[in-house]
Amino acid sequence: MANITKKVSWSSRADESGATGEGTPLLNGSEQPRHSRQDSLRGRPKEIPHNEKLLSLKFESLDYDNIENQLFLEEERRMSYMGFRCLEISRWVVCGLIGFLTGLIACFIDIVVEELAGFKYQVVKENIEKFTEVGGLSISLILWAVLNSAIVMVGAIIVAFFEPIAAGSGIPQIKCYLNGVKIPRVVRLKTLVVKVCGVICSVVGGLAVGKEGPMIHSGAVVAAGVSQGRSTSLKRDFKIFEYFRRDTEKRDFVSAGAAAGVSAAFGAPVGGVLFSLEEGASFWNQMLTWRIFFASMISTFTLNFFLSIYHNKTGDLSSPGLINFGRFESDSVAYNLYEIPLFIAMGAIGGLLGALFNVLNYWLTIFRIRYVHRPCLQVMEAMLVAAVTATVSFTMIYFSNDCQPLGPEHTEEYPLQLFCADGEYNSMATAFFNTPERSVRSLFHNQPDTYNPLTLGLFTLTYFFLACWTYGLAVSAGVFIPSLLIGAAWGRLFGRLLAAITSSGSIWADPGKYALIGAAAQLGGIVRMTLSLTVIMVEATGNVTYGLPIMLVLMTAKIVGDYFVEGLYDIHIKLQSVPFLHWEAPATSHWLTAREVMSSPVTCLNRIEKVGTIVDTLSNTSTNHNGFPVVVQVTGSDEPAKLCGLILRSQLIVLLKHKVFVELARSRLTQRKLQLKDFRDAYPRFPPIQSIHVSQDERECMMDLSEFMNATPYTVPQETSLPRVFKLFRALGLRHLVVVDDENRVVGLVTRKDLARYHLGKHGLEELQLAQT
Amino acid sequence: MSLSKSSLSLLLFILSISTIALSDGLNLTASHSADKLKQIPSLNRAAAAVEVNSPVFRPAVEHIFSLNLLSSFPGDLEISDYCRELLNIFGQRYVAYVSCLVPAARPVTVCQKCFSAFGSLRGAYANLSSESGPGNVSCSESLLRGDRLMVVNQLNSSMEELWLNAACDNCVTKGLQRLTDDMLYFMNTLNQTDDCFDKYRQGNHTELCKNCKNTYQGLNELYGRMEKNQTLCIDIEDSMNMTRRLWSKYYNCTVPREETVPVIAVSSFMLFLPIIFYLSSFLHSEQKKRKLIHPKRAKSYTSLMNIQDKLG
Repeated sequence: MANITKKVSWSSRADESGATGEGTPLLNGSEQPRHSRQDSLRGRPKEIPHNEKLLSLKFESLDYDNIENQLFLEEERRMSYMGFRCLEISRWVVCGLIGFLTGLIACFIDIVVEELAGFKYQVVKENIEKFTEVGGLSISLILWAVLNSAIVMVGAIIVAFFEPIAAGSGIPQIKCYLNGVKIPRVVRLKTLVVKVCGVICSVVGGLAVGKEGPMIHSGAVVAAGVSQGRSTSLKRDFKIFEYFRRDTEKRDFVSAGAAAGVSAAFGAPVGGVLFSLEEGASFWNQMLTWRIFFASMISTFTLNFFLSIYHNKTGDLSSPGLINFGRFESDSVAYNLYEIPLFIAMGAIGGLLGALFNVLNYWLTIFRIRYVHRPCLQVMEAMLVAAVTATVSFTMIYFSNDCQPLGPEHTEEYPLQLFCADGEYNSMATAFFNTPERSVRSLFHNQPDTYNPLTLGLFTLTYFFLACWTYGLAVSAGVFIPSLLIGAAWGRLFGRLLAAITSSGSIWADPGKYALIGAAAQLGGIVRMTLSLTVIMVEATGNVTYGLPIMLVLMTAKIVGDYFVEGLYDIHIKLQSVPFLHWEAPATSHWLTAREVMSSPVTCLNRIEKVGTIVDTLSNTSTNHNGFPVVVQVTGSDEPAKLCGLILRSQLIVLLKHKVFVELARSRLTQRKLQLKDFRDAYPRFPPIQSIHVSQDERECMMDLSEFMNATPYTVPQETSLPRVFKLFRALGLRHLVVVDDENRVVGLVTRKDLARYHLGKHGLEELQLAQT
Repeated sequence: MSLSKSSLSLLLFILSISTIALSDGLNLTASHSADKLKQIPSLNRAAAAVEVNSPVFRPAVEHIFSLNLLSSFPGDLEISDYCRELLNIFGQRYVAYVSCLVPAARPVTVCQKCFSAFGSLRGAYANLSSESGPGNVSCSESLLRGDRLMVVNQLNSSMEELWLNAACDNCVTKGLQRLTDDMLYFMNTLNQTDDCFDKYRQGNHTELCKNCKNTYQGLNELYGRMEKNQTLCIDIEDSMNMTRRLWSKYYNCTVPREETVPVIAVSSFMLFLPIIFYLSSFLHSEQKKRKLIHPKRAKSYTSLMNIQDKLG
């Protein structure tokens, strides 16, 4: 049981750092059992099934707040004007590199997917053609299903067994990272490799997924790696960009990486910048925005350039983005004022369908977390989904009577004839027997009468459930493209029906236009992004005139959808029990004060502390605190000591490792003075306390923390209301906020989990429970 | 207002032109005359006014204009006899080509029937547009680019476009001498298939489907190969289309859907698998439990109950 409870939920692998110092809870309080009446009433730690009203102890905050200790001040003093200029330039260089590498990765994914999927569809197509005539189509069905499952199996195995954090689209994880939560292993090189291979497998394996979401995660990992100038996984240190080895700088680059990912995925540089802005905007400045834009542009350009080489049109830079919606041109796609209400109605439909999608996926995910948590089960599930997807597609194609003549320019990549007349192809097959991106494009751009309404309706229905079932599997895959596909299908259906109703109006009711609006509505209904999604859609279509309808549609979809349930990413963030801080504190929380919110009592350290005490505090596995207020004892009084600073676990560990003890300093005068560089070298994987050996003699030594602690931590009085504390936390990206009384004595400590546990539920303010996951 | 003004300037223009023509007595093109005009400052402004106004002349004015123009250009701006001859030839060939095209419209046989007519049309146009003629007379300047309508040019380019859309170059040899061997071979195969269709047309169509299958399939494969090589032209595509329609729709030789039962069986088996999977994992897998942890709070310990108390 014990090792089951220790499993992480985004994955289901024992978190390696769970027992060590790395996966430290944010909670900060003493571990002495309290003997209050409430505690005895509530009894021993009880176990409950996983639900969304939990906060996991596994997640830590990132340290965005600059530690202004003396070392920092010294370094700043030493640094010349040139030094600062160089830093600025190297920031630009890093952003350029991020864009370049992200673009390369996108290009790699695109080409490999295209080649492998082409090969797969060719094999299946030949097989189907062979068996159409002589009989035995069920063999083709089995071949298709087996091929799909085999490919998906590879993808699921690498995800489930090697890097579970690479599952899904990665957008929730990046969103949390930008929010300030340190998700273990999320920006590692291994994650990137698994993500890239996983997404190739799942798209080639014919699942109802896209490769766009994972690009955002990939971009973020690239950014986190490049900006550090080394790889801990490969054990290589290039000795560059050492200044950037801290959370504040890294976070800026990660937001640039996410933007570059979006921009590579959709060919939408501005959309990428706005995505970063929308998801992690609490720390933002103009220069950073400009740099992020630079990274985005470089990424689109790189992707473009290499794809142009691949398509033998070297130097042609006009087809940006992994998904290309194609060009919406000509008069048929113009829209008129009287269509605006129709668009808004479609937005409402999108919101409803999106809410349904999210609710279904919510229940499914809960079931998966509770019951399908073993890696082998997850692999099996993914294989089953792949097989069923192939089966359903095949059955749909088999029983479809919708035959269309082959187009002159052969927009259909793998036309299947099956039982159609010669020279015609099965139009259900263009929707199912294709990579999802191509299906989207054909729904947008094919001739108005390409699909008949029955085909579209059936396709929407099946793909809706398939996509809903697929999202949350242990494969790396995005939800953007399936959403677009569902929306495009019903949007096209809407357009066709409209044209049928108003028989004279068939000129303006161009199905392609309604397919686009439907796609926007569905995507907006599922993910509930607003500004960035509008810009992404506008940029991906390359048509600014669609800005207004897309914006209206996304607005309506969000309003309607939010009435029922949250966005898909927020649901998943909640289900992972992440202490996520939203934009603002819950509305009715002004009566809560810092006194009620904070954890108390706090483990404090003295300014000059015995090494033994520090080691004992750090190695206490039951508390695993991360920040320690440093206090100074008022001489000759019993009163609690006054606050004089704050020190972090990571700093203490580095200090212990270098044995910065007062006694040793006295005896060894030549000893090198500890520099900020020593802290940076240990970043981001500080060794656990267990790996640091402290002898019995050394335990008696003293440590002077005054040089290393943050001498001016943020503090609030006890009566501060929750929204005030929240604002301070969110805007400054704090990790610890010390609560003091009127004499500057520490009474408590507010951390992220103390704030994140309040949320506005159906019955007013609710409190989430802390749990070991 | 503008009408009277323009007619005034027109008069001035005519006056100026005739003076120059009188004084020079040489063949002058319009540009030359404009150059000369610059030397006569008093008339310069008037001529410029004509140039500005000329595109918007009213019909009434134009009438006078053309009459006057003709009378005042005795052959110097007029096209030469040689060019007129070339234009005539072009016209005749154009007519010949079009009268070939129209009957070949349905079923499409434009490439096979009209390639020679098109070749001669091209020749005529090439003569027209060539820069050098006898006595260094170039007709292209006056005939092809003399005015903004450019009738000859338009006519020719529309025919070229038609030819390009039909992709006839894939079926006719370079220089438009004869049909390519591929084309001839395809026509041959097509004829065989048609013969076969004719033979079995009477009576039961299943007989036809069985007996003509080989020839038809051969034709289909040939077509597929040609499609890959990109040696298709409209004639081939159209005739293939017709044959396919005959085969599939008229004679009903499509493959029937007869394996419904095995397909349904296999798919329902596949669809059944996830149900088993989820049921078994629900029943046999240990439900994941979370261990709750009670945070340490200050004395005014806030629990959910407290919150609700306060709210209530």
